[in-house]
Amino acid sequence: MRKTLPALIAHIALILAVIITVGVLGVIAAGVSAEGSEKFTDELERNVTLHILENDTAKEQGYLKELLDAFNSEYAEYGIKAVDANIDQYNDLEQSGPFGYGPDVLYQANDALMKYVDGKHILPLPVDKIECAEELSEAAFKAYRSTVGGQEYTFGVPVNIQQPLLFYRKDLIPENWETEWDDDKNGVPDMIEYWTDMYRFSKQIKKDSNNSKYGYMKSLNDGYFASGYFFSYGGYVFGGEDGKDTSDIGFSKNDGYLGGKIIRQLASVMNLECTEDTITRNSYSRMAKGDYFATMTTPDVYTLFIKEMVNAGYTEEYARANLIMTDIPSLPVSGDLEDESQGFKDMVAMGGVNGYAISSYTKAPNASLAFVNFATSYKMINRRAELLGISPARRDLAEELGGLNEKINQNLDSGSIYVMPSVRALAQVWTPLQTFCATLADDVLNEKDVYVTDEKLKDGIRNVDNQIYAAIHTLGGS
Amino acid sequence: MNKAKAKVVKAKSKKVFNVVITYCILSIVAFIFFFPCLWLILASFSKSGSIYSFDGFFPTEYGFDAFKALFTDTVMYNYKRWFFNTLFIAVMSCILGTLLTILTAYCMSRFRFKSRKAMMKATLLLGMFPSFMGTIAVYLIMTQFNLINQHWGLILIYSAQAPMGYMVQKGFFDTIPYSIDEAARIDGASNFTVFVKFILPLSKPMLVYTALTSFTWPWSDFILPKMLLIDKDLYTVAVGLMSLGETEFARFAAGSIFIAIPIILLYFCLVKYMINGMAAGAVKE
Amino acid sequence: MKALDTITAKFKNLPSAVAKKFRAIPSELAGKFAGAKEILTQGNGKVTASMLVMGLGQLIYRQWIKGFMYLFVQAAFIVYFVLTGAGDLFGLFTLGTREGNAWYGVEGDNSVVMLITGILSVFIIFLYIMLYISNVKDAYRTQCAVDTLKEPLSFKKEVGALLDKSFHKTALALPVIGVCVFSILPIVFMILIAFTNYGGDVVPPALVDWVGFKNFGKILSLGQFAPTFFKIFGWNMLWAVLSTALNYFAGLGLALLLNKKCVKGKAIWRAFPILAYAIPGFITLLGFKFMFSYGGPINYYIQQGGGEVVGFLGLDAKWTARFLGLGVNAWISIPSTMLLATGILSNVNTDLYEAARVDGASSWKQFIKITLPYVLFATTPVLISQFIGNFNNFGIFYFLRGGLYVDGYFLASDTDLLINWLYNMSIDNNYYSIGAAISLVIFAITSVISLTVYVLSPSYKQEETFR
Repeated sequence: MRKTLPALIAHIALILAVIITVGVLGVIAAGVSAEGSEKFTDELERNVTLHILENDTAKEQGYLKELLDAFNSEYAEYGIKAVDANIDQYNDLEQSGPFGYGPDVLYQANDALMKYVDGKHILPLPVDKIECAEELSEAAFKAYRSTVGGQEYTFGVPVNIQQPLLFYRKDLIPENWETEWDDDKNGVPDMIEYWTDMYRFSKQIKKDSNNSKYGYMKSLNDGYFASGYFFSYGGYVFGGEDGKDTSDIGFSKNDGYLGGKIIRQLASVMNLECTEDTITRNSYSRMAKGDYFATMTTPDVYTLFIKEMVNAGYTEEYARANLIMTDIPSLPVSGDLEDESQGFKDMVAMGGVNGYAISSYTKAPNASLAFVNFATSYKMINRRAELLGISPARRDLAEELGGLNEKINQNLDSGSIYVMPSVRALAQVWTPLQTFCATLADDVLNEKDVYVTDEKLKDGIRNVDNQIYAAIHTLGGS
Repeated sequence: MNKAKAKVVKAKSKKVFNVVITYCILSIVAFIFFFPCLWLILASFSKSGSIYSFDGFFPTEYGFDAFKALFTDTVMYNYKRWFFNTLFIAVMSCILGTLLTILTAYCMSRFRFKSRKAMMKATLLLGMFPSFMGTIAVYLIMTQFNLINQHWGLILIYSAQAPMGYMVQKGFFDTIPYSIDEAARIDGASNFTVFVKFILPLSKPMLVYTALTSFTWPWSDFILPKMLLIDKDLYTVAVGLMSLGETEFARFAAGSIFIAIPIILLYFCLVKYMINGMAAGAVKE
Repeated sequence: MKALDTITAKFKNLPSAVAKKFRAIPSELAGKFAGAKEILTQGNGKVTASMLVMGLGQLIYRQWIKGFMYLFVQAAFIVYFVLTGAGDLFGLFTLGTREGNAWYGVEGDNSVVMLITGILSVFIIFLYIMLYISNVKDAYRTQCAVDTLKEPLSFKKEVGALLDKSFHKTALALPVIGVCVFSILPIVFMILIAFTNYGGDVVPPALVDWVGFKNFGKILSLGQFAPTFFKIFGWNMLWAVLSTALNYFAGLGLALLLNKKCVKGKAIWRAFPILAYAIPGFITLLGFKFMFSYGGPINYYIQQGGGEVVGFLGLDAKWTARFLGLGVNAWISIPSTMLLATGILSNVNTDLYEAARVDGASSWKQFIKITLPYVLFATTPVLISQFIGNFNNFGIFYFLRGGLYVDGYFLASDTDLLINWLYNMSIDNNYYSIGAAISLVIFAITSVISLTVYVLSPSYKQEETFR
């Protein structure tokens, strides 16, 4: 052991010395803070490539290509090139951005984009440099504002407003509708305007066809659409001023339980398929065949309906003329689809505002801003509306296009659209809600008749709130 | 005389009965396994994309639309590219994974070294962890090695994780008698030679099993590629199919059928190695 | 029944066995370190040189190739540490001190990346220690060789040994490293995460901190937990046992059936299950879910026949859904167990069967006495890992019947397994640290069961005697 043990100890000591020295130096160096820099100067970066993430529909219908080509030809002199990022449209910037795999500019829904604010993954935008700021609907713009560290910032530029719409077959409305189905004589069939008449009409169809044809059909367990019935009677998702307070779950608040009553009544004119997602999938072909009269879904699937109708043997012109998208019907104030006595109110439905944001990890923030401005210009949004049928957030365009586009804009302003809150905990809302809706449908269709009193309905929806609360808070927090 | 004849007849009819029952059971089993695949195949030939336009299990109209669309509509769904991506990944992981697994299993079976029992217990234990967090860890490791958006990253992971499943192959090696090893050592062969020249030829069925399973896995795994491959052109078939909409079921089915084809081809290539009763002759050599 | 007796006997002997083991520890330790002691006392100057700087001793012995290889390792290790290793190791303890701000391009510390690189640096340290020890041992061996043979071993001979006596070292090197980095590292990561507060709002760029056993405290103090936990655990065990047994014996039975001499066209018959195996699992799961839904083909035919729709997977379908899950899982898994059994059976000594038939044994007896023990012996570890796999089978009920909360269960449905419940409670919510903690609890339970069974099984104890 004469020389061996000391040698061993010396070796170990040497290694440890190296590790500790370097490690401690590293910790000290980390303490020195680095200086940041202002991102949005007026200098356009030269010779950069921008990766743009758009949604799949824009890519499919060719709009993205037009947009990219137009932008590239305009900014060719700066050497700025915009390309399709070619990644999943729901890509999570939080995961991909910090490591350099994310896009520079991204188009997603407001709840997805605003979730990146906490981690500072998207840049606050200089409002004075946003060209279309004045034309934008204030309510739409509001969805992209948030307060961080006491100051309010804007994080995105809204492009279009999205809400559920009623899809129906115009040619399936009875010929004598003007006399039979237009009580308020306003030239619009009642079953399109009022849920009570839709309910009555559906009952009639179901009975007359001996359960082979139906009126309004929808997968009631789809929380996104079912939630609207609860909102219309005073319910909400999260409370607080900004709608983000997860300690206050509000489906059962005010008269929210009436939403459950409406759902149960609607289920009675459907079949058991409404307790699962079958109807969501088969509505395209069933409506094309005429087995369903109407359903509710988002406008981006309009082309699928047309395609199925063509498959069923109609011409495309006929399909476009007879498969109509319109604003959703109004609900009875009484909360009972068989009671019109108290009049009607607008239905509040869950919706959102899609828009552009700029990733904090981009190497070319000014070029990105230039792209966003270009993409939200009058010309491009007009073209987008033409190709994709969206409802623009730009006031001027909405007014010009009129019709449904203008109406949706107004819905957002009047509060008939409940903008999806950009809270992570939202993921916990769906399962309890959809289980309850499926239970209500099952209750009436299998004649279990448990939820026939207001008290039972109130208990049921309060249970949903409790489950959501438990799912979010039991294990979370500090 | 008659009694003997009766016995023979009885034995014969018993045999016939046996054979008939066997084929009956086999047919039922084959049908059970085949029917859902048949449904998928039929669905891929359906004209309409939606499964709800079917008449029960069978489409109402047939056509090649789904297949055509699968290979021509590459704007959104570049199936051709995905297919070859997955083929590449599957072939490489099959080769590397099989090599590593067989080596590991052989060593664990034949050699007695100090940490052996500990390693066996450890691998059993490690296999029991629910692997949710594992995917996040793998993603982070890959970002540090710059292997995101690279097929070799996936190949590396599949091959590296393959030896964890060595127990199947080890069980097989354990059933090969030691006498074969001894006979070869007496002739002066090194362990390496024993492995390559004597043990491997006897292990063909296990090689087939290992190759088939390691080839099949990349075709159906969508969690790992979804995380590691961000660029859509690099997707594997599993991830790509998941991104297809619901109304495109015919295309979805067509895509799935094509996944099955290379695997079945590989099976038919390798099936002749899965013959039985070889060990009986081997020892006598 | 013999097995039961053996198990009970073992349990009775447990206390004395444990005591014996404890008493044996000191002498065991002494034995392990005997080798080290020998080197330390007997080592000469060249061994000492190798202890100071790796490879030095070998170089003095004129073993140039080996010497430079070890020297290279020594240098590489030092470089690694100066460049990133030391920082990573420290980062493992601090988990980041500087929060980044992407708005200003300020790069902060990414806590989880630091955790990973920290664990990696610990692994590398272990690797280094192993290489260092091998370096010293090798120098000592050379010294002994020189003492006895008057000359050190040639490089060629050493390489030869690597392919012969030490073949296992060569062959296992790559797999072990691969498994360490890509399988063990993620698991260690997960275990450590259970002791942090990573998850929810505390995700990078926010800094994650160590919180000790707080997560476990949170789980164990939940009142609503216990009833749901026991209900789900009971179902989970039942499911694991039933599905493993079903898949195993059905696969074995199918393999035996197909092995029969009277079956013609074996390859074709085998192709059907292989076809089922070739189609990716998630596709078949979605397919089965559709098949049994209210709007699916099975209900379509029922309705055509004049009956009422049946909710196979609906809200009230507790046992129907469970039964369907078993069936679908069997459909998906039997092809691979069949393949496995076929492979194992291929090595069966047919002489045994001949002898049995001559002795007049029926085929059932042959199965019980010859085939079953043989297959069980070869596949007990596989059986255990299949049991665990089925126990943790997330996909089956997630795809078949996900998105449902049933009364009487806290955030779960009556077909959910523990792993589905874990997912609902934590991962779905992004509460990673809680999820990791619960995973550890589940793991603790399953590992005790499996290790006991494995160690008691014949394949572990009597690997040689089977021949």
